[in-house]
Amino acid sequence: MNEPWMISNLVVVAMLVGAVGVARAIRRDRLWLEASRDLVRRRPVALVVIALYLVVALVDSVRWVGGAAVGGDAVAAHEARSPIDRLFAGSQEKSYSAPFAKVEFYGGAPLEHPGKHPLGTDVLGRDCLYLLLKGARVALLIGGVTSLIAIPLALLFGVSAGFVGGKVDDAVFFVMSTLASMPALLLVIALVMALGRGTLQVCIALGVTSWVNFCRMSRGETFKLREMEYVQAARALGVSEVRIVFRHILPNLSHLIVITFVLTFSGLVLSEAVLSFLGIGVQGSWGQMIDRARDELAREPAVWWNLTAAGIALLVLILAVNVVGDAIRDVLDPRTLRENQ
Amino acid sequence: MTPVARRWTSALGTLAIGALASFSATCTNNPYPAADQGRKVLYTAFEEAPKTLDPQVSYTTVEHAFTGNIFDTPLEYHFLKRPYTLIPGMAKSIPVAEHLPDGKIRYRIEFLPELIYADDPCFELGGAGRKTRPMVAKDLEFAYMRVADPKVVSPFVDPMSNVLGFKEFIERLEARRKSDPSFVTKPAHEQYAAVGPIEGIVVVDDATLDLVLDHPYPQILYWLAFPFSTPVPWEAVAYYNGKDGHPLIQDHPVSTGPYTITHYDKQARIVLEVNKNWYGYRHPEWKLPATVYPSEGEPGDAEMGRLDAAYVGKPLPFVERLEYRREKEDIPRFNKFLQGYYDASGIVKESFDKVIANGQLTPEMAELGIRLEKTIEPAFYYLGFNMMDKTVGHGGGEKARLLRQAMSLCVDTKEWLRLFLNGRGVPAEYMIPSSIFGYEASYQNPYRKVDLDKARAVLVEAGYPGGIDPATGKPLRLTFDTGDTTVDGILRNQFFVDEWRQIGLDIRIDATNYNQFQEKLKKGAHQVYFWGWSADYPDPENFLFLLDTAQGRVKFGGPNDMNYSNPEYDRLFELMKARDNDDERMRLIRELRAITEHDAPMIDLMFNEAYSLRHQWVKNVKPFGMSTPMTKYRDVEPEIRDATRLAWNHPVMWPAYTLAILGIAVTVPGIVTFLRERQ
Amino acid sequence: MLAYVLRRLLYGVVTVLGVLLFLFILFFSVASPDNMARRAVGEKASPKVIENWKKEHGYDRPLWPWQDPKSNLLFDHFRKALTFEFGKSDADSAPIVERLKAGAGPSLTLTVPLFVLGVLIGVPLSLFVAFFRNTYIDRMGLVLCVVAMSVSILLYIVGAQFLIGKLLKWFPISGFDRSIAVIARFVAMPIVVGLAAELGAEIRLYRTVFVEETSRDYVRTARAKGCGEARVMGRHVLRNALIPVLTNVVIQIPFLFTGALLLESFFGIPGLGSVTVDAIQGNDFSTLRTMVYIGALLFVVAQILTDVSYALVDPRVRLE
Repeated sequence: MNEPWMISNLVVVAMLVGAVGVARAIRRDRLWLEASRDLVRRRPVALVVIALYLVVALVDSVRWVGGAAVGGDAVAAHEARSPIDRLFAGSQEKSYSAPFAKVEFYGGAPLEHPGKHPLGTDVLGRDCLYLLLKGARVALLIGGVTSLIAIPLALLFGVSAGFVGGKVDDAVFFVMSTLASMPALLLVIALVMALGRGTLQVCIALGVTSWVNFCRMSRGETFKLREMEYVQAARALGVSEVRIVFRHILPNLSHLIVITFVLTFSGLVLSEAVLSFLGIGVQGSWGQMIDRARDELAREPAVWWNLTAAGIALLVLILAVNVVGDAIRDVLDPRTLRENQ
Repeated sequence: MTPVARRWTSALGTLAIGALASFSATCTNNPYPAADQGRKVLYTAFEEAPKTLDPQVSYTTVEHAFTGNIFDTPLEYHFLKRPYTLIPGMAKSIPVAEHLPDGKIRYRIEFLPELIYADDPCFELGGAGRKTRPMVAKDLEFAYMRVADPKVVSPFVDPMSNVLGFKEFIERLEARRKSDPSFVTKPAHEQYAAVGPIEGIVVVDDATLDLVLDHPYPQILYWLAFPFSTPVPWEAVAYYNGKDGHPLIQDHPVSTGPYTITHYDKQARIVLEVNKNWYGYRHPEWKLPATVYPSEGEPGDAEMGRLDAAYVGKPLPFVERLEYRREKEDIPRFNKFLQGYYDASGIVKESFDKVIANGQLTPEMAELGIRLEKTIEPAFYYLGFNMMDKTVGHGGGEKARLLRQAMSLCVDTKEWLRLFLNGRGVPAEYMIPSSIFGYEASYQNPYRKVDLDKARAVLVEAGYPGGIDPATGKPLRLTFDTGDTTVDGILRNQFFVDEWRQIGLDIRIDATNYNQFQEKLKKGAHQVYFWGWSADYPDPENFLFLLDTAQGRVKFGGPNDMNYSNPEYDRLFELMKARDNDDERMRLIRELRAITEHDAPMIDLMFNEAYSLRHQWVKNVKPFGMSTPMTKYRDVEPEIRDATRLAWNHPVMWPAYTLAILGIAVTVPGIVTFLRERQ
Repeated sequence: MLAYVLRRLLYGVVTVLGVLLFLFILFFSVASPDNMARRAVGEKASPKVIENWKKEHGYDRPLWPWQDPKSNLLFDHFRKALTFEFGKSDADSAPIVERLKAGAGPSLTLTVPLFVLGVLIGVPLSLFVAFFRNTYIDRMGLVLCVVAMSVSILLYIVGAQFLIGKLLKWFPISGFDRSIAVIARFVAMPIVVGLAAELGAEIRLYRTVFVEETSRDYVRTARAKGCGEARVMGRHVLRNALIPVLTNVVIQIPFLFTGALLLESFFGIPGLGSVTVDAIQGNDFSTLRTMVYIGALLFVVAQILTDVSYALVDPRVRLE
């Protein structure tokens, strides 16, 4: 279990189980079911796009050791590789190839796999489509892990602050305003620098900054819900506090969490691109590809496919998420969210 | 349209047109103020900010570009002659080794008369209102004492230690500082005076200084042409101490040379202007080798226009001001060169194919009047192994030696050069470049030929069959340390890593920033790394000492950052070092080479081939190879430059107009509706 | 009123102390001086080397007061920060104050125009879009905004340098000069890029505010009275929506000083953003700490000022 790839596999399984669970829950609840149908009707294309990214990311997260060494890479046989790694094993060229080219881009030496690179290759001859697909996992990992860190903690602190009030609220509010007073980008940078470079570290850093948003929202909303008549009634009937939180507060927060999650997601992925430029991004992200491609664009003739591919992959994902995010907000809740921000 | 709407629309239209007109009028990509047009200014870009311009500390190529212009030295290199030839600078003549009766060797430096420093406030220390003072021989002694001073942390202690009594001076100074805490607070020159002179540095009179050695060290003459051999006034060190609002001497050099620093914002802009106190400027009539343009060079110079009658015998310098701008990124810098805003440039890899075809300028570039100079630099690049490491170093014994050889057999220099340097470089078989004594074209290092099968066999012999480390059962993991965190740099090193993966070695890149990497080298915390050595002077000793134990980085702070140590190598090296270039020296070099081939502490990679471009308005350029700048010989023709810049940089304005029209087309209907409603 | 101001000030001080504590935990406890040293001199460095590094950079004392009440890093950290003694850079030992002084000017020449233009263009444009709400102009505007928001700023920068700098030659590709005569041409392109990157989100936000405001009762009353739509938008809506818009604007003010990180770095402007980027690349913790601290300090001050001016305008706020 000490191997990272085993954890990665477990996470995939957990996600699939979780997805089935969520789907069932939605089916049971008439409101959610209607909302999701509405969403599908409104934004089918964007949803399909997001689903595609998800599938690629999940497929790339399943890894195992074994299989033959390919393309003269003797170390690979001892490393955990995903189906995507295996699919592209041995597609290595020596250097740049333009999309579908038959010969090398500079110098025109014959390629080992002519015409087999729909998006071309990078300077070390790695297939650009391969790098692009690998990037999907990184992007979703950033958004996903970050939210996984931020949302539960935010709920814990936000709800207890809003529900209990008093000293607890003061403490949570103090932490929130402290974190919020630091410029977000600087805070992320400071966290990554202190924690060290790496995927998890970047996610934690981004998680801390987005925690503030989630926390502020759930605190404010809990305040309001606490004063609602049905909560007051439940209390008067002697329902326990814990039960109130779980039966009345949390369910009523869920749609806000979904909306905030989707709206935060795109910001997280874009932030990672910025971190990549600063040299503290996540290995293999589209941000790093774009950063690298800056120089390639200046070549004569320019190597344009790396930048274009990574730029479009990033743009399409963010655009789809933004579009879906707006739609979800319209479907689930057109008003409350803004009041708390 | 209502009258009001019409009035508004026409007002907005006028405003828009006015804004556009003023925009296109101010639109220029010229980064320099208009006042600089027509002046003899040389525009150069620098990438890294110089760390220090303290003459006794500064060592890097980056810094040499500045120190070489502001510090005069007793000797200099001839501008045109090759092989490299020394000429007298501040000295009247080139010192010759005099063998004294007691077996010692003396070099006598006789200075020119009337040498004075550039004007500087620090000279007030010697009397109120004083702006400068004459240079005396004692100032050079002071400079050498600074080299010796452990507090200055000079990288030149080692070569200067050949001078008699140098080490003893260091010991006396340290002992005195330890025993007497109040001593440390005194100004440096008083401290040095108190511990007494260096035995081998004798100030004969104000214009004469003797250097005395007890063993032959012919290389010392080259060091007299290095900026650390510039005289330093004690006032400068006492005044620029970082207190009372004075900068540190590392940021405020007091110069003797043809140029002096007038603006020093090292992160962005550095300006040098002609030093009016320079002896060449005050006494053009002396017509010394170092103050006028030379009349002879090597064959071919005349054809290249380097012996133009307009320049021969004319007093130096020609350019009145040197403007240096920091450009952190290659591509903007090169683009500015192509726009005419920098006078000279290297070629960035990204634009190579546009600029060069078949080793020559492309017709497109030639038409622009750009000139190309190529030269193989005496700069040697290698992949080193830290010999203090227990897996790849001395501690790993035979196992490690075979591992190093196996790794050497994987590295395809030609391919690497093609991918990352457009083939601008010569694969190296051994440390000595072709322009230097000791090079043998016939020599081929058997471990520098790519042979993966042989590499795998050697790896089996080393006890890592298929790259598997028996201790872990997994591919042997090593760290490739680099100070290059740029994406490009990572890719460049990834190339080596990919090659080693082919024989089953799992090598991970550990990229830190340059300073941290330096720190790692200093502490011996590295494992495998990419590094280079640029020659200080044209002598094989200056390359082969990279493996001398006494040059060990960790123990002695020398350039042997492999920390390689082999007594037999050291013994042969000492013999080779003391000899002039003869057959015996060649024989010794061959023996040294055999040892290196067997031990493989480094993977010889390549010698850099520099391609430098310049515009037609830059005159008198000859690539020097070593880092000495030679700027005082250079000239520019500002009229041609101004005209060309103007012709090349017409802003393309139609997209702006189109955009503006589009914008108006989209917004005007809206405004009209808005206004109509208003009625 | 005085009580409110005092309370607000007190809370500001508490927040700043909180930030300092957070920075201490982050840079002294999470990343201990040992970690810092190891990162600076390499993972394999010997303990002695690490001790030396710590001594050189003043990290060789206990962290917490309970370890050594007289000389500990916690008290040092607070004392230095509160007296604005920023000390030396961890990377090259240069005084940080000098760097801040040198960087403030270039940063302001970039960020002030960016800020002013952002407001001057953003507010009218969003008002314009809101005026045409639920028409094709509005929908196109929104689509443009979402697309503009979804593009990474890196792409904007790369694109502008290529297009405006290299092909059209309007401005120098990068660089900076302090002399007034030429300063405009250096900041022009980064300003355009900065505007492109921020306007999308800004217009969308302001538009929502304006549209929401139009659904209020007084707007309906005004319309019923026979006010033209233009007048409604220009007079009533704009005036009443100004507070949320201003809040958004005021919050940006601290960033004027901390600089635009990416823009400065890409366009070679030696401002505070560049200082920060250099600090990141050089693992220069002391400079980074200082930058975060200053950023937070300015933010807190700006917030207090907004809150107090709200209270002046609207007496209800004071009672909260």
